[in-house]
Amino acid sequence: MADLIKVTINGNVYETEKGARLIDVCREHGHAVPSFCYYSDLALQASCRMCLVRIEKMPKLQTSCTITCTDGMIVTTESEEIEKAQRAMVEFLLANHPLDCPVCDRGGECELQEMVFDWGGLEERFSERKNYAPEKFLSPMVANDPQRCILCKRCTRVCDEWMGEDAIEAGGRGAHTVIGTYDGWLNCSECGNCIEVCPTGTLLDATYRHQARPWELAQTITTCTFCSDGCQLSLGARVGEVMRAVARDRYVDGINGEFLCIKGRFAHPFINHEERIRTPLIRYKQGGRLVPATWDDAIGYTAARMRAIGEAHGADAFGIIGSPRLTNEANYALLKFAREVIGTENFTASDAFSLAPCFENLSAPLATHRDIRFAKTIILVGGEPEELQPLTGKQIRQAVRNGGARLVIFNSVPIRLKEQAAQFIHINPGTEDAVVLALAGANDDELAAGKLGVEAKTLADVRRALDETQGDCVLLFGSELSAAAMATLAQLPQLLGAREGRRFLLHPLPFYNNSVGAHDIGLMNAKLSVAQLLDQAGQGLRALYIAGSLLPEHLRGREETLRQLDLIVVQELFETETTALADVVFPAASFAETDGTFTNNAGQVQRVRQSIPPVHQARPDWMITAALASALNADFGFQLSASAVFREIAEHIAAYEGLRYPLLKDESRPVQAKHALAGARDMTGAIQEIRARIQSMNVTSARPTETPKVGHELFKPGTLTSKTPQFPLLYAGNPKPPTVLVSPLYQITVDANLRATTVAAGD
Amino acid sequence: MFIGAIGCEPLQLRRVHLEHSRSLDVYRRNGGYEALKQVLDGMTPDAVINEVKKSALRGRGGAGFPTGMKWSFVPKDSPKARYVVCNADESEPGTFKDRYLMERDPHMLIEGMLIAAYALGARVNYIYTRGEYRYLINIMDEALDEARKANLLGEKILGTNFSCEIYTHTGAGAYICGEETALLSSLEGMRGHPRMKPPFPAVSGLYACPTVVNNVETLTAVPDIIKMGGEAYQKLGTEKSGGTKLWSVSGHVKRPGVYELPMGYDDMEKFIMEDCQGIAGGRQLKAVIPGGSSVYIMPASDILGKDVRMDYEGLVVAGSMVGSGGFMVMDGTVDVFETTKNLTEFYKHESCGWCTPCREGTDWLVKVFKRIADGEGRPEDAQLLLDICDNIEGKSFCPLGDAASWPIQSAIKKFPEDFKRHLLPLVAGAKEDAALSMV
Repeated sequence: MADLIKVTINGNVYETEKGARLIDVCREHGHAVPSFCYYSDLALQASCRMCLVRIEKMPKLQTSCTITCTDGMIVTTESEEIEKAQRAMVEFLLANHPLDCPVCDRGGECELQEMVFDWGGLEERFSERKNYAPEKFLSPMVANDPQRCILCKRCTRVCDEWMGEDAIEAGGRGAHTVIGTYDGWLNCSECGNCIEVCPTGTLLDATYRHQARPWELAQTITTCTFCSDGCQLSLGARVGEVMRAVARDRYVDGINGEFLCIKGRFAHPFINHEERIRTPLIRYKQGGRLVPATWDDAIGYTAARMRAIGEAHGADAFGIIGSPRLTNEANYALLKFAREVIGTENFTASDAFSLAPCFENLSAPLATHRDIRFAKTIILVGGEPEELQPLTGKQIRQAVRNGGARLVIFNSVPIRLKEQAAQFIHINPGTEDAVVLALAGANDDELAAGKLGVEAKTLADVRRALDETQGDCVLLFGSELSAAAMATLAQLPQLLGAREGRRFLLHPLPFYNNSVGAHDIGLMNAKLSVAQLLDQAGQGLRALYIAGSLLPEHLRGREETLRQLDLIVVQELFETETTALADVVFPAASFAETDGTFTNNAGQVQRVRQSIPPVHQARPDWMITAALASALNADFGFQLSASAVFREIAEHIAAYEGLRYPLLKDESRPVQAKHALAGARDMTGAIQEIRARIQSMNVTSARPTETPKVGHELFKPGTLTSKTPQFPLLYAGNPKPPTVLVSPLYQITVDANLRATTVAAGD
Repeated sequence: MFIGAIGCEPLQLRRVHLEHSRSLDVYRRNGGYEALKQVLDGMTPDAVINEVKKSALRGRGGAGFPTGMKWSFVPKDSPKARYVVCNADESEPGTFKDRYLMERDPHMLIEGMLIAAYALGARVNYIYTRGEYRYLINIMDEALDEARKANLLGEKILGTNFSCEIYTHTGAGAYICGEETALLSSLEGMRGHPRMKPPFPAVSGLYACPTVVNNVETLTAVPDIIKMGGEAYQKLGTEKSGGTKLWSVSGHVKRPGVYELPMGYDDMEKFIMEDCQGIAGGRQLKAVIPGGSSVYIMPASDILGKDVRMDYEGLVVAGSMVGSGGFMVMDGTVDVFETTKNLTEFYKHESCGWCTPCREGTDWLVKVFKRIADGEGRPEDAQLLLDICDNIEGKSFCPLGDAASWPIQSAIKKFPEDFKRHLLPLVAGAKEDAALSMV
């Protein structure tokens, strides 16, 4: 506990920690101090001059954002002098501001507007001509109206400090200063966080521009569906249509603050996309078309076919495949369906990266994103969080830049995060297992270093860093590790032993929004991978029930055998390569249309909330499964309530014991699932296995030397993301259009072939 | 144009009239680098700082902060590198003394910087010159080369253990880069924005290391302080500001130039009327801006017969400031409204845009001035100008906002007639009182 000091604010004496920031202390105690440029998570700016206060013994008014409290400080936040100054600042800010609120997207949720309500004058004294600058596009995602800018520079700071991209910066000077890009076009990861933190309508979401007014939108707090970080966001919907996604903290106060990545922020147009499957579809005969059907017909038809196959071939003729992208509720219903209705263990989830070895040997808690932000040592083995788990990437970056953490990266690719690394260890491709071997002890350094292609001393340095850490030490790993290596890494905290002042935390980097949940529910069948299950086709497997689509890597080359199956039932949003094989297709509801939960890579169980009613005739996945069960004479008893499904999950899954929706209500206090911690295990076998695996490894020292381009994963137009028309543009290299005054969408057409190939390359 | 000392022996301007004054040879033959030798011959860094403290030398860039005290703020136990940065950005309108020093006696600056670097333990030092002084860079670089060849710069200077390097660097022509923290940002290759203080540069300056930023004239005073001793130097001036000061005299005097005066020179009237040979064309003195554009304008009535002493305290008593010593004299033909408009346009152009009041305030001020000049003034405009100034003054991030307000405030107060002339005839039927309710 830091020293306590006394500060007097407006005559009231408060105790506060030494070193506390005055503006925070004032606000904490209800003394409203206005500000624009102050943002607690960013470098100080002190440029808006709104937060002026009077401090005794100081000659001038002081900006409270830059003042550190000292003992005995006497502060006044409200006086005639201060109010005059603050009103003057608002008057200055409005001088060249266009006051075009009626046509501004931010109108109604603009911080400048709010400030003017409190501090603005009744009368405008500025009667001169306003400076003019045209509206323009900075990129396909970011529209810009420079005239509205108050130059608080939150945007340039988030771009630099959060994203490490420094893609936007102020140009020009004096009253002609504008926020701009370096070569007239924004080539960055297009996260749009600059839009989010903009207090005015200067930087705008180009996908939402001129689409709706904020007060028309019903804001629903939910969990993002795109990666395993599980950012909290707020979907703004108007009469059944999702118009935008924001994280602005007046709406959401989740693990991510105001941070979102390009997918979370801009990839929502798939929800109301015209290509959504509208009704159930049935392919009555092989080679025929999928024909629209009613729900009753489709459920009845499927149940009849299933019953017939079951009677003829038994329960193990069925394969059930869930998805790490579905809610826990949907996956649980599928599992229950497999076990209780069909009576088979032939189920799995369509993911290639199983976390089972990690969770079975977990010997330290999972690191939350907040833990990562304040960690002292961060070891990243494989993975590319800045592209695949952008929030984790941002937290790592800030831990280093703002918290002075030591980041060690082992990767065969010089990923962008290496800019922040104290040690970037460029290893030979495919040798990630050797890293685990080296971290576990010095015995195998020669072997490990040889295969990794690094010096043994480097490995000793990393072990020393782990040894010397005071505070939190976070181990992150990607999908490159083998099962034995993952297990050993999960046991590393035990292997290295406990020490006062050091805490180990683990953080896996799975790909999907509910990879961890799919594991927890038990659908990630440790005994049966998707490939193994699909390979049974033609050898006893007669029917498949798939929620979501198969990954291209699982589908490729198996199309013909799968076509021979008696029945394939698919629940999907869009027609995909998997629905092309299906006999029955059920239109599923997207994450925006359903209630449920996702479990993120920190093990936090977070709510998914219905923002709009399911589009067309879509239904939530678990409801489809339950309806199918009913038709097969099994009553799941869920009574059309997702919370009932979740209660059953909590009753059956130990890690979720005691959880209920009401307990998950507050997104600012996410609840971590209680993953069981294994004690010290004997890892000799696993280490021996890794050693053998490495010894037999044929390594190449041909390491990629080029840092992957920003967005090489983020911009990949998948089934969902390609529905945002800007994604293919970005994936095609984000070309600068002939004029920046018109949306690039109306100027550049991405080649249709490219669109097709890039979509195929996605999920 | 006159370049020389009045009322004292020339100190800073001792060599400027010599032939080849910028050569090392001439500099050495005229007492150059003796102070450095003296310092390296056995003075401790603390002893050097002490002499400078005793000299009562105050920063000549404009703020007048005691140099010795500034030097002593550099933490002695910091493991970081230290830097001495010479502020040669001389961009205060009306100021042109540093360029003469650098153009005609570059080695004096080098010697001053070396002594400062020795006192502060700096290994690498920079001379930051404004973009428009690019030609000076060549002169400085030649002098630095000469010094390097003579082992006055570089490794093991004059056979001692003292090693030191000086580099030149130009800005890109922004007034704000004369402000020490903006200068450091610019020197680091970033936008020339001022930085937050604290931390002061003495603690965290260039590359977040302890840094002393001194004006050219401040640093060139150092060799003489060492040679004659701090006390003797102080005695040239007053108790609180020692030594001599260069004044850049321009405007309607018969003999403009760079004048070296002892601090505390009596008095301003004599200086204008006798030393500068009076007002050109036999016209009347109307106003003086004594310390560069960022100080209060003084009407003739505050100067004539008032015994204005030319030092920091004397000018404050007289209602203005020494500033950078940019001494601009105006005769009766000058319309102070136009002068103020011109200055305000300068500040608007040079406002860096970082903080709200300076960025928007100066823009607004210029728009009002232009409107008045275009014949569309309103009775309440003078009051508006004053209020805008009041809203900028003391609220801006750096002193540029204050500097923009002061000339306007003093001009309206001291020369109401000139504003009246622009406002009154345009407002048909307006009463004089209404038009100038502000004054």
